[in-house]
Amino acid sequence: MLSFVTKRLGQSAVLVLIMSALVFVGMYVVSDPVAVLAGEDFTEEDRLALAQELGVDRPLFLQYLSFLGNVLQGDFGTSFVYNRPVMDLILERLPATLEVAFFAMFIGLVVGIPLGVYSGLNQKKRSTKAISFFTTVGYSIPNFWQGVLLIMLFSVWFKVLPASGRGDTVDVFGVGWSVFSLDGLSHLMLPALNLAIYTICLQARLARSGTQEVMYQDYMTFARAKGISRERIIRRHLVRNILIPIVTITGLQLGGLIAFATVTETVFSWPGIGKLLLDSIHNSDRPVVVAYLILITLMFVTINFVVDVLYALLDPRIRYT
Amino acid sequence: MTDQLVHVENLTVAYPMADGAVFRAIDGFSMAVKRGQIVGVVGESGAGKSTIGKATLGLLDENAVIDTGGVMLDEVMVTRLEEHAFADIRGSKVGYIYQNPMTALNPVLTIGEQLIEAIEANTNKRGQDARAYAIDLLEQAEVPLPEERLSKYPHQLSGGLCQRIVFAIAISAKPDLIIADEPTTALDVTVQKAVLGTLVKLTRQENIAIILITHDMGVVAEMCDYVYVLRHGKLVEEGSTAQVLSNPSEPYSRELMAAIPRIDHKIERFAVPGGLGKAEDRERAIDYLMSRKADAGVEGAPLLSVKNLSKTFTMKATALKAATDFKAVSDINFDVFPGETLGIVGESGSGKSTVGKMILGLHKPDPGYEITYKGHNIDDLTSKAQKLAHRQSLQCIFQDPYSSLNPRMTAGDNITYALRAHGVLSRAQALELSGDLMELVGLPRASARKMPHAFSGGERQRIGIARALSFRPDFIFCDEPTSALDVTVQAELLNLMKDLQDQLGLTLLFVSHDLAVVRQMCDRVMVMRSGEAVEIGACDKVLVAPEHEYTLGLLAAMPRFRPEEVA
Amino acid sequence: MPVDTTTADIGSPSSPDKPEPRFLENVAKIFRGHPAAICGLIGISIFIFLAIFAPLIAPQDPYDQTRLDILDGLLPPGSTLGDGTTSLLGTDALGRDILSAVLYGLRISLFVALVAVIVGSAIGVFMGLLAAMKGGWVETVIMRTVDLKMSFPGILLALMVLAIFGTGIDKVIIALIIGAWASEARLVRAVALSELKKDYIHAAQLAGLSDWRIMGRFLFPNSISPVLVVLPMSISSAIGAEATLSFLGVGVPITEPSLGLLIANGNDYILSGKWWISIFPGLVLVGMVLCINVVADRLRDHANPYLRGKE
Repeated sequence: MLSFVTKRLGQSAVLVLIMSALVFVGMYVVSDPVAVLAGEDFTEEDRLALAQELGVDRPLFLQYLSFLGNVLQGDFGTSFVYNRPVMDLILERLPATLEVAFFAMFIGLVVGIPLGVYSGLNQKKRSTKAISFFTTVGYSIPNFWQGVLLIMLFSVWFKVLPASGRGDTVDVFGVGWSVFSLDGLSHLMLPALNLAIYTICLQARLARSGTQEVMYQDYMTFARAKGISRERIIRRHLVRNILIPIVTITGLQLGGLIAFATVTETVFSWPGIGKLLLDSIHNSDRPVVVAYLILITLMFVTINFVVDVLYALLDPRIRYT
Repeated sequence: MTDQLVHVENLTVAYPMADGAVFRAIDGFSMAVKRGQIVGVVGESGAGKSTIGKATLGLLDENAVIDTGGVMLDEVMVTRLEEHAFADIRGSKVGYIYQNPMTALNPVLTIGEQLIEAIEANTNKRGQDARAYAIDLLEQAEVPLPEERLSKYPHQLSGGLCQRIVFAIAISAKPDLIIADEPTTALDVTVQKAVLGTLVKLTRQENIAIILITHDMGVVAEMCDYVYVLRHGKLVEEGSTAQVLSNPSEPYSRELMAAIPRIDHKIERFAVPGGLGKAEDRERAIDYLMSRKADAGVEGAPLLSVKNLSKTFTMKATALKAATDFKAVSDINFDVFPGETLGIVGESGSGKSTVGKMILGLHKPDPGYEITYKGHNIDDLTSKAQKLAHRQSLQCIFQDPYSSLNPRMTAGDNITYALRAHGVLSRAQALELSGDLMELVGLPRASARKMPHAFSGGERQRIGIARALSFRPDFIFCDEPTSALDVTVQAELLNLMKDLQDQLGLTLLFVSHDLAVVRQMCDRVMVMRSGEAVEIGACDKVLVAPEHEYTLGLLAAMPRFRPEEVA
Repeated sequence: MPVDTTTADIGSPSSPDKPEPRFLENVAKIFRGHPAAICGLIGISIFIFLAIFAPLIAPQDPYDQTRLDILDGLLPPGSTLGDGTTSLLGTDALGRDILSAVLYGLRISLFVALVAVIVGSAIGVFMGLLAAMKGGWVETVIMRTVDLKMSFPGILLALMVLAIFGTGIDKVIIALIIGAWASEARLVRAVALSELKKDYIHAAQLAGLSDWRIMGRFLFPNSISPVLVVLPMSISSAIGAEATLSFLGVGVPITEPSLGLLIANGNDYILSGKWWISIFPGLVLVGMVLCINVVADRLRDHANPYLRGKE
């Protein structure tokens, strides 16, 4: 187990390194920051001075090394637009993103998995057909348009939920959370629902196909032949088997939710890191984009690592070989 | 309580097919089982044997329809019960033993969980009592270290042990009846013997009746009191085991018995019908095949000589385990002489197929080996043409007919594609050759246009033989060529292979787990265990009076089909 | 299974004159008895037809700035325009006819998605086959690259590519290709690896055929079906991804608006009650994705051995 963990950790470190190099080269070399920052009236000398100031006149390798050195000390540079350390900007906005992503994940799991298992078990019922219709539709509506529709329904027509912002936040551990205030919760509802609908549909579909697959395994027939109750067969024999793929997918899904939060945050003006990324792309605020991409890589690598370890722990066929 | 336990009366189970037709898996079948009796239900695949067991337990597929009749169990018409009413029958009155123990047990639950839940569902034992009883049951089922096994998962145990655990589950509530659906098909012959012994002991103790569903006449001969022979869902013949096996009255039963390979004496050909194709096409195919370059090396020397052949497989490291080496074959030496058939027998994992694959060049042997073919060391071949000629001179007939043909090519292309790709044959010549070879192996010429899925398993094996022959090989490695086939189909195919060998003077290396098949096919035999050769010699000696005790054990474990002794 | 499967010989005996099932018969067999999937197929045909013939059907050329009249701006559906024609679905702020814009947008959305998925899948299939066939360092390099790509959600990767290279139709297609190939490569490799263990491949090796021939005539046709099954799903998600990127303003340029960009343009007017600008392109987008997904579901269910024959 220990060698597996160290090996995976090593792989993850290499992955982060490669991604950081790709992002760095992409952002600072493919497009020339001097050209972006220089005003139209800049002379050749001004440009050289700017290049020196930014450190881009040095060889690429050295630039990357000093960048890496700074990053290891937690310094991602200063935002062109906000003129503040990038790390501060991101840390400020991270809780908002995590809040909406986890809230959506919670709704997705609690609603999606039971729906999926139910429809996998009752393939011929009308309710199953209805569930599968709604999951297909939900799956087919692009995330951002769902957001647009939600705003139109709940904010424009019914006027029950606010369309943008985080509302009042309550400080817990020095960080503001919307979920603990009524106003904040009402602001959280739409963005969370927006992210959750896709999760519900995905989880329901996965749980359904997992159930169908497990249902036809020999051990399910044998369990029936043993004379144990249907309820117990489902609770133990079925759920334990489909739990393994679901845990894996859920981990990856969490990464997906954080990524898709960029869309949701834009639609609902939710002040998280996703919105920060898009604003920064539009404003060519390179240090922020680079920092976001590297931090998100780190986050995904961590999630993937945890999922791999969990998977190995959950499946006895892997645990004891 | 009457003596009569099960009464199947005129049972017909039908499945609606996609095209609107109805498929009768079992058709107007009747049988009776007394308490404590062991009744065999035998037949080849597609006979509908498993349907009887499933109908008794209400485990038929959702779309199955019971058209007529039913199953009476202890004066209850079980085929009319609702799903919830089966709770009183499954496990408590009828135990079920599944064909493949490895898939019957849930991979993510421990043995203990699976055994104890059956005990708690069907007896009044709970908690510690149930656990103690579980250990007791495992002891009765002759599972060593029962207490330790309870916390294990199925994949940590061997197939034989898993089947013993399935037995323990099946007898946990002391049922009146056990339905055993091919209980030992997935197991090796030595394991089969011991496992069946345990099953008989357990059921005799409690006077439990068994319906034994099997395709293996040897098992029936050794276990059953009474036997029913099925074909295509219909009863062909019934009677005491002695009578049906030694003196079958129906033509199909006679053919079935004649097709069973015997270990005790070698026969020239099996007495089964086997049509060969049109004489003219066949002659042309034989002319083509005989036109190969006669280059068998020195007179009297072996065609193939193998020295110090070993193979180590490295198991890749997984999440929780470092890489390990596994020695599949160690230090094998043998010669094969032109025109003879050398058999290799052994149980699964003995490395017998790996030997053949190394000779063919599909696996690279460990360093230090020497393979001489037609007088040349095969590693001395240098030119591309030499290598190609060598490759094509050694061919293979594979085990699984369902994966040995390219599903996306017609039968004819499967046979001649390579010759065309190498530019040896034109399109028209390839077409003619594939047709001729199809006729040679007993298939109609016109069916060369059809895709592999349109053929049965036996027919596919014939196409595989035609493909191997198309290269005009001198040596064919037969890798369990009939183990996936029904016994009558096996007999036809073995007859065909003997005919072809006689006509073409082929040299065969014949791998099988079935001693009786080897006895019928081979001149000499090598016995393998765990990668090592334990004995090699003439079949008439090794399979009659073996020197090594492992071979003796194998022979003793083989279920004997000796109708004259049963009678 | 209605028959026991202890031994394998259950194939039907051959009848020499039975013709092979044709492609169309196969398609009919897959969809018979599934009205939703048939509707999906019809829907897809209609959308493709509209996209191809958009210039002939559309009442207006939405790219022709000279013909737009700002006085026609923001008119609701059914309004009469300055030149006397009726705008069926209303107009946007520039006075552009929504119906025309949607038809042209559909064209761009479909074009981008199809090109990206076809090129991406082709690359993925080739890479997957190559990795399986060659093994060794070739496989390691390909599969590690796949892992690298797969550890990222596609949308982020696309954002990254577009942030680096800038926007435009060609850039969006490249971003989508980068997003599409890896999963196909992984899928094909997995299938190809299991095919490689089968004996017909061994037979081809014994015949002395080259690796490339084995890859082309044996491995490729037998490994391709799972990719074909997921192809519609890949297309629909590519359509969704392109729309998302364009909605976020990093996709197609404003001069060639796809459905996603049309929705984004209308988004600013939703709060003021001018719903039609955003809703109609959205409906077309969802309609198309839904049709494709329904068909894709049917294909997947049909290919699933656990469901086959159970319905």
